[in-house]
Amino acid sequence: MSGALPDTDFAPTREFWAAAARGQLAIPRCAACERYVWYPRDVCPGCGSRDMPWVVVSGRGRLFAWALVERALFAPFADSVPYVTGLVALREDPAVRIVTRIVDCDPGDLEIDMPVEVVFRDLAFPGDDRRVPAPFFRP
Amino acid sequence: MPGRDTSWGRASELEDLSGRVAIAGVGESIHTPASGRDALEIAASAVEAALADAGLGIADVDGLMCSGHMEGQLDERAFREHFAFDGPLWTSRQGGGMVWAGTAPVQAARALASGEAHVIVNAFSVAWATQRRKGEGDPGMFHAAEQFKANLELPFGWFPQPVYFATIARRHMHEYGTTPEQLGAIAVSCRRHANRHPGAVMRDKPLTLDDYLAQPMLVDPLRLSDCCLISDGGAAYVMTTPERARDLARPPVLVAGVGEGLSDAGTYWSQQGDFTATPQVFSAPGAFAMAGVRPDDVDVLTLYDPFTIVALMQIEDMGFCEKGEGGAFVAGGRLDYDGGGLPYNTHGGLLSHAYVLGIAHVVEVVRQLRGEASAQVPDCQVGVYGGYTGHMASTLVLTRDA
Repeated sequence: MSGALPDTDFAPTREFWAAAARGQLAIPRCAACERYVWYPRDVCPGCGSRDMPWVVVSGRGRLFAWALVERALFAPFADSVPYVTGLVALREDPAVRIVTRIVDCDPGDLEIDMPVEVVFRDLAFPGDDRRVPAPFFRP
Repeated sequence: MPGRDTSWGRASELEDLSGRVAIAGVGESIHTPASGRDALEIAASAVEAALADAGLGIADVDGLMCSGHMEGQLDERAFREHFAFDGPLWTSRQGGGMVWAGTAPVQAARALASGEAHVIVNAFSVAWATQRRKGEGDPGMFHAAEQFKANLELPFGWFPQPVYFATIARRHMHEYGTTPEQLGAIAVSCRRHANRHPGAVMRDKPLTLDDYLAQPMLVDPLRLSDCCLISDGGAAYVMTTPERARDLARPPVLVAGVGEGLSDAGTYWSQQGDFTATPQVFSAPGAFAMAGVRPDDVDVLTLYDPFTIVALMQIEDMGFCEKGEGGAFVAGGRLDYDGGGLPYNTHGGLLSHAYVLGIAHVVEVVRQLRGEASAQVPDCQVGVYGGYTGHMASTLVLTRDA
């Protein structure tokens, strides 16, 4: 594995990355019961509907938990350590947790459940010329 | 569990198999850093040791269980080839290590009852240390190949397993006040046990709580000693009926209860319904009920422990203490075999004995119940193994033959 870029053509998550390229955070929501469904799946676990269009969300949430990666355990991130990765609970539905990077902060200032907002940054990894805009979060 | 949301998973319905299966023999390969051995020869040596322990030979075997979830295991073809075995052989891939080290007796009980098999070997082995050295893979491979992880987690560096469990540990610390000293206490007890175990990889490497706290963070809040070893090794155990076992070489150990729990979120740790809990919430109660015991009755506990926090959560979720009180429960050497609390991973576990994904944990419980462990708990009557594999947990209650 040379990099860690997503496959932006992988159908179940294609809209997530397409939205990021437009500077938006989008999550599938069931058209029938209005429940957010994360990770994407074919059938709504709430009501069984198969109609789950992607909707743009606020990009705000709370820092659910994070890890400060001090030593690179995954080769594409060898030049990125130390970095903060973790989960953001979405304002629209805190049961939806987005895996993300936490940026523009001193890791020592982070607190569980603090408000965070989305900020779009390009993913880029050594040995791969592509750049993919992705939703990161900042306090 | 009053007041806690349990809508995120469920228990498997299992038939009552108490008293129907005995473990008649246990065996291990040697456990080493990268050794050049392959998983098959490792497993075969463990099988030979387990059969010898029971006073049986290869010709007595008519049942074989192995993992259906790992490559390179001692399956029927490999077993027949390695041992030049041409007899009838009942087989099941619902065995091996991880959660299946605990639930293998479910399939075995059926085969023993129907007469399809009379002597069943369950074996598991890994050569991860050798494979990693050769660049042929590592324990993160499964997760990296999973499409949703590859597309929604890896791009953000939320990978591999130490990152998942550091994140969980952070949240557990926030919710319950769990401290680094408490996580470290688990690692220190395991190491103390490994220091007494002749086969442990960390046999000659002591670890104090001060040593632990002085280690730099690997993935904050986890240090190196919060994480399991990567080693080459395997283990096996022999199952038969209690009646048959009583005629064999060793005192039988009886399967008293089995449980299995499942989380609806699959192996996506980011989306677990209860982020700081394991499916032991669903698995342990059924196993204890089947065995007719309570957590207070347990004399020795072994848990699948890829990280200290995983052990801590399972101890809480199995009911050995209230949820959130695991930190106080494990602190101060109370998990030591002679610590006055609950003797835990008395062989050293995945953290300090060997990375055999739980099957050596079952071997250790059997040895404890037979009174022959290297860190022996006095008058050990009831032993428990807790397995944990992503979205699944298992609980195996073993007792001494009355």
